[in-house]
Amino acid sequence: MGSSGASGDLSGEMEVDAFRRLFPLRFYERHLLESVRPDARPLGRARDTTVALGAVATADGSAMAKIGCTTMLAAIKLEVMTPPLDSSDEGSVAIDFHMPPICSPIVRPGRPAEVAPVVSKQLSDAIISSGMINLKELSLVSGKAAWMAYLDIYCLDADGALFDAALLAAVAAFSHLQIPAVTVNDDGRVVIMSGENEEEEESVMETPVTVVLDSSSRLVSLYKPGGPVLAYMSAVQDCVALTRQRVKELQKILSDAISDMEVD
Amino acid sequence: MSGKTATAPTTYSPSPTQKKRQPIFKDVDWIRPDGRGFHQCRPAFLRTGAVNAAAGSAYAEFGNTKVIVSVFGPRESKKAMMYSDIGRLNCNVSYTTFATPVRGQGSDHKEFSSMLHKALEGAIILESFPKTTVDVFALVLESGGSDLPVVISCASLALADAGIMMYDLVTSVSVSCLGANLVIDPISEEESYQDGSLLITCMPSRNEVTQLTLTGEWSTPKIHEAVELCLDACSKLGDVMRSCLKEAASASQE
Repeated sequence: MGSSGASGDLSGEMEVDAFRRLFPLRFYERHLLESVRPDARPLGRARDTTVALGAVATADGSAMAKIGCTTMLAAIKLEVMTPPLDSSDEGSVAIDFHMPPICSPIVRPGRPAEVAPVVSKQLSDAIISSGMINLKELSLVSGKAAWMAYLDIYCLDADGALFDAALLAAVAAFSHLQIPAVTVNDDGRVVIMSGENEEEEESVMETPVTVVLDSSSRLVSLYKPGGPVLAYMSAVQDCVALTRQRVKELQKILSDAISDMEVD
Repeated sequence: MSGKTATAPTTYSPSPTQKKRQPIFKDVDWIRPDGRGFHQCRPAFLRTGAVNAAAGSAYAEFGNTKVIVSVFGPRESKKAMMYSDIGRLNCNVSYTTFATPVRGQGSDHKEFSSMLHKALEGAIILESFPKTTVDVFALVLESGGSDLPVVISCASLALADAGIMMYDLVTSVSVSCLGANLVIDPISEEESYQDGSLLITCMPSRNEVTQLTLTGEWSTPKIHEAVELCLDACSKLGDVMRSCLKEAASASQE
């Protein structure tokens, strides 16, 4: 422990740090009483969010999204498949969310993070059920060939709000996606022609609620995964209102990123 | 909700298959695809502190080869491990699915994890963190050739960023033998046509080699020439890495 006599400031700082580690719940409660978070953000404000399109040059569509320190890299690669009989004029989308060991101290090679498949499923459900992608546009030759879009999202830095950042990156990657012009060659193959919430906060929260709204603010998905606290309707409605506001912010960020790309 | 069948359909990439053209490297005068001289390395972009969640991290971009390395620790060893009065080093290298032109080819490089371990363990002062483990994890975002040397150099930068004690920075360079010519820091296309390759990892200030890997056909004078080339490039890369660390340190002091 620092000497309390010589440097009063230093010992004050260390006490705060120690208090934060030992009593995280009380640390947060003290801040919430003032309606503020430890990084001086008011409760309704999100961290700095940025989106950059075309982060991966070799992919057909890609984007990098950052919310605070949380960084997600999403890339879409298109491959050709034979569509199944029951959806012969539709393509398909395969969404995979990865948390490689670099992103967080809790992930080890061979021992994946528990949260990764949960976010993966949430993402899949949200994207497919929102109808954001028209699978019929991914068809090539009805019954014979269609596009399979492999969307891979990698978390490069995990600091909470994983689902938010991943969804943002996924949507941005789809908006950047360009389906290449193809033709069928003699062998019958298709060929291309001569492309918040910070981690610490989440650990003391008892029950997170995730709300997904589409561009006309209709509810696409509401996810409250169990937990010891029942969410009262008023709390849920507050969440939806906050989301509505955040949607406007994110739409502006996304459209700015897209118009920057078009200028180039 | 779409009801897809459990088995994933087989897919193929629509990219036109590479025609087997006569390798241009057999000609007397040929220029490297990216216009570099035979003994010229790619310009390096290095940055530390790329990952906030890690104790130390670095991002390296050598042409089209892009790598992120995170270092965690020293932290508790797994319970199953026995007591050790020197520290342990654990390395892992993985590829993103979109790192290679053909999706999913990165899993061909499973030996890189153990090669990274061998390259680093000679340089780290393991006695400085007994009973604990330092984890070095690398993710290759894009594979543009000479992946392992870039991973090793980037890992050394990340270790320095994490404050792990080392005898010296570790730098790595590889040389490909194409017919009668030696090209340094090969790109993927050059690597696919190579007759042999040499990878050297060394500690430039101490002039000591921690790892040397030779594959393919070599004559003895060629080996000597290649080793000289590599050591020279390693020491220049060491200077670049040192200045990157100094910049980062002075930036954080402000």
